[in-house]
Amino acid sequence: MPKVLVIVPFPMDADNLAKRQAQMKAVRLGPDIAFDFKPVAIAPANYVSQQDALLADVGILEAGLTAQADGYDAVCIDTVSDSGMNALRSMLDIPVIGPGRHAMLTALMLGDRFSVVCMWDRWRPLYTKTLAELGLESKCASIRSADLQPNNQELLGGREDEVFPVLVEVAQRCIEEDRADVIVLGSTTMHEAHAYMAERLPVPVINPGPLSYRLADAAIRLRLSHSKTTYPTPLTPRAQAIAAMGAAARAK
Amino acid sequence: MPRILVINPFPLDEAGVARRAAQSGHVALDPDTELVYRPVKFSAVSFMSPHDWLMMDLGVYEAGLTAEEEGFDAVVIDTMSDSGMAALRSVLSIPVIGPGKASMLYALTLGAKFSVLAQWKPALPRYRKVIRDYGFDRQCASVRSFDVEPDFVNLTEGKEDKTFPIMLDVAMRCVEEDGADVICLGSTTMHQAAEYLAARLPVPLVNPGPLSYKLAETLLATGLAHSRKAYPAPLVRKDDLVHDIVRAAAQSA
Repeated sequence: MPKVLVIVPFPMDADNLAKRQAQMKAVRLGPDIAFDFKPVAIAPANYVSQQDALLADVGILEAGLTAQADGYDAVCIDTVSDSGMNALRSMLDIPVIGPGRHAMLTALMLGDRFSVVCMWDRWRPLYTKTLAELGLESKCASIRSADLQPNNQELLGGREDEVFPVLVEVAQRCIEEDRADVIVLGSTTMHEAHAYMAERLPVPVINPGPLSYRLADAAIRLRLSHSKTTYPTPLTPRAQAIAAMGAAARAK
Repeated sequence: MPRILVINPFPLDEAGVARRAAQSGHVALDPDTELVYRPVKFSAVSFMSPHDWLMMDLGVYEAGLTAEEEGFDAVVIDTMSDSGMAALRSVLSIPVIGPGKASMLYALTLGAKFSVLAQWKPALPRYRKVIRDYGFDRQCASVRSFDVEPDFVNLTEGKEDKTFPIMLDVAMRCVEEDGADVICLGSTTMHQAAEYLAARLPVPLVNPGPLSYKLAETLLATGLAHSRKAYPAPLVRKDDLVHDIVRAAAQSA
């Protein structure tokens, strides 16, 4: 049975991990595929600066480095920033799915332009980075935020009444003022708002986490993985050093 | 149980449809997914000029027009040209997947630049046009043809020894000379060569037909379909007219 490793980008307890795992309910998966959720050991407090981006890359690389040796058939990264994806792809042959890139490219299968709706404006660099990598800036109608500080542990729990209507309102502006054909949720932590938004908006709303699980399944069945010319293997991998970093962070 | 209508863009006989249906052998589908293959009543004979593209658009549109009322959950168009896709999306709410644009976007999930491996030189202008139209000029390393005249019914069966190595040679030039990170097969009819090429190329090979089935399942599994803002519904549907003119065209042929 194919097994997929889902890397959760913050250390967290079992209760909060369950909130991440709840994303599985939003997608119909094949009958014989298993998903293991694993929190990283090395992480920033949140994703709002270049320091954070660097630590996120390192933490996710460390968490996924042995995935192939551990018998996994694919890796999903549970953050729309796609942190760690490039480095992991250079080290692994199995598919490594970054939900940001996959959500944007899937959006373009459904319409000509998409907008990213996120929680706060400090996440903007996460999306401009991927858009620049893809060279598809012109396909992004806008990036708009709800201007509400997110909580990467509790997610949106207890704040539904405060957050959900604002997200719909922001998405409406993307559609009406920016002419977005498709809305991409700017974080996998926003999954709890997806059904509410999809019901109320006149365009498709992409829930990046669940989509990434299904695309991992598709990549496994199609026997397709990333290109080694884009993600070349290092001449001298520092696998041992990276494992030591993880151990050092865990010991703290 | 998801039922997917796969529209073949040529008026094939039963054996021809079976050859197209063999594409599903390249990928494991969900056990409850059902693919129903339906050839168009009318199409183009060649596929190299705007006249041909228009005839195929119309033929595919007519064949899929009633898919939603027939109870299908999704439509897949069995051609890299995505013929008829835009028009079908404008009248259907179920997902309509064409492998052309989708396989280029999928290629970009795997690498930075893709090349399209086309059948013969007359096919090149259309690929170049759509790549420009989609805005993928920066992401497309090249479009190269292996210069063998197409047989839309049977591309490669019995021709493996001769055709496959030529295809491989041209694909390698896409990688080495043009900098392609991913190769997209330029036609769903090339599926028979996919395994041969994938086993020998140093970069991923996207086999568009099987990919389109998986994408249909993906959209159904996540509750997604095309945006009505990008594919607005017509104010007046002309289904009877479409059926009439395509039937007349088929009978005249």
